[in-house]
Amino acid sequence: MRQTILQGLEQAYNNLVHMIADFLPRFLVMLIVIVLGLLVAFALKYFLRTILTLTKLDRVSAEAGASRVLRIAHLPSMTALLSRSIFWLTWFGFILVGLSVLGIASLQGQISRLFQFLPEVFVGILILILGLLTANFFSRAVLLAAVNAGHRSAKILSWSIRFLIWILTISMTLEELGVARQTVISAFSIIFGALMFGLAIAFGLGGQDLARRLLERYLGNTKETKDNEPQPL
Amino acid sequence: MAEDTILADDLLRQLMSVGEVDLLVGIFSRGDAITTGHAFHAIEQSFREHFTRQRAVIVNVGGKDNDEVDASESGLGGLAEKNMPLARSLRTVHRVTADFSTPPSPGLALRTVLTAADLLRARACAMVSPGTTDLTPERIASLLTPVLREKFDFVAPLYTRHKFQGLLARNLLYPMSRAIFCHGIRELYSDEWGFSGRLAAACLSQDVWHEESIQTRPEAWMAISAISSDFRCCQAFLGQKLQSGTGPGADIVQVFRHTVGNLLWCMESRKSTWLECKKLESVKTFGPEQEITSEPADLDRHRIFEMFRNGVAELEPILSSILDPETHAEIKEIVALEESAFEFKTDLWVRTLYDFAASYHHAVINRDHLVQALIPLYRGMTFSFLMEHFDSSPGEMEALSESLCVEFERQRPYLIDKWKAKTEVRS
Repeated sequence: MRQTILQGLEQAYNNLVHMIADFLPRFLVMLIVIVLGLLVAFALKYFLRTILTLTKLDRVSAEAGASRVLRIAHLPSMTALLSRSIFWLTWFGFILVGLSVLGIASLQGQISRLFQFLPEVFVGILILILGLLTANFFSRAVLLAAVNAGHRSAKILSWSIRFLIWILTISMTLEELGVARQTVISAFSIIFGALMFGLAIAFGLGGQDLARRLLERYLGNTKETKDNEPQPL
Repeated sequence: MAEDTILADDLLRQLMSVGEVDLLVGIFSRGDAITTGHAFHAIEQSFREHFTRQRAVIVNVGGKDNDEVDASESGLGGLAEKNMPLARSLRTVHRVTADFSTPPSPGLALRTVLTAADLLRARACAMVSPGTTDLTPERIASLLTPVLREKFDFVAPLYTRHKFQGLLARNLLYPMSRAIFCHGIRELYSDEWGFSGRLAAACLSQDVWHEESIQTRPEAWMAISAISSDFRCCQAFLGQKLQSGTGPGADIVQVFRHTVGNLLWCMESRKSTWLECKKLESVKTFGPEQEITSEPADLDRHRIFEMFRNGVAELEPILSSILDPETHAEIKEIVALEESAFEFKTDLWVRTLYDFAASYHHAVINRDHLVQALIPLYRGMTFSFLMEHFDSSPGEMEALSESLCVEFERQRPYLIDKWKAKTEVRS
């Protein structure tokens, strides 16, 4: 009896020692991978920041109006945002690789699924940034064109364009991420269709005179508007 | 010279058959055979009357071929025949046509003419655009004579104008370019000008022909190139300016893009030259300095003011990223004024323009958008000008125009400080 208990304890002790002997190197490897990842992430961050500073991305971002939106959203500059994103993405990737070294079976599946999902996240972020830039550029272009043409509702037009591009961007991002794909497509189609239909009805029925005046101005004789101002040259 | 030429084989063949010339006039025709025919007629008549001993060629860019022009010219009672000696001319006047599959841009048209001038070693050249200018033999002679006989390299036109015509040139383009480049050329943006073969060769050698500013309005760049490289510039009075309903002049946004945008681009591309220039150089003028007429004009001043006021309010976020906070605050103050009490003071106007120029240099927002954002402020200045000068005599207007030029020169250090300042992007 006593012998059996001692054998059991010895077995348990051996198993524990074996497990620790097996686990410790893996744990150390994980730590090394994470620390290495930290270094690589830092290096990539500074490399990307240098490249983006040299290519004057912040200036391009400011020209397109994206810097202004980032500032309103209390976000850093485009260069800082991208370089920080690459840092966290890289380090996160190394952390996942490190965790997979531990060989915990239940974690392995989750980690591989996360790795498969990463490219989609990256593309999603890219779509969002491009959408942001496009929305700002076009809304400002519309605002300037409307103001210089003397339209009274220039801001509404500008915001409508911004809003439409945002909706389109968010829909595309969610679709890329695979979040409720069917629902997103349906919601977008319904919202966009309803908006256009509503605008068409409002413009055609509610603003018949305005529609006629606008069509006359754009398709007909533009002499009236030209004669209001002295010739600049 | 022309080893790496842009000229098509057919055009090159035509030019080689012409040989060397003394005079070359380039026509940038816009597809209208009647106006082109009229231009040919006026140019040939000018050669007959004023340059009987010179070898001359007319280069028609982007228009109908000579047969079509001749056919239309016969309807005008044209006298000349293609490549035939003229009645009193001792030389043959050649006609050369550069055909393009699609209408060429003004920049490409000028480049073609400059290449032809360089190839034919022309001494005096002129560029004209029938349809936007009222061509007469005297006008052609006025553009060519200073180059041929007085050895000038660039001849800018001067016109008789209505006192409310060309306010962009009067209140912005002329005084600003004069203060920046230290040479007072009144009509930097025109559809007709003269130049020497030397200047043509110098301009051709510059690697700028792909630039949009050169493609749309190359004439100011040519003038500024002449100023910057110590070529001799002058102005020649041509008479009444033909105001065309078509072309640049119809749409204020296009006009701003093509002129103000072009001037700011010239400042950017020539910064090493103008930042160093200190003293205003005089520009010789042939004929009267400028003539101003004052017939009654039908202008909607109230609408201009409303567009200014509305524009400043709507574009506030954009203007705040372009203007100095102090300048912006002052503009917001004058926006609040009643129409009758409104005045856009010249010092504020000059500071506004210099803020725009510096912001263009620092590219605080998209440069095309920046140029467009100036339009409401120009309308404010126009309204103020119309209020102030509705009953002014031409002499009073000229005196005030000179004081505006002086204000631009006085505030030049402000521009240089802002230009050189390392600004953070505020947009």
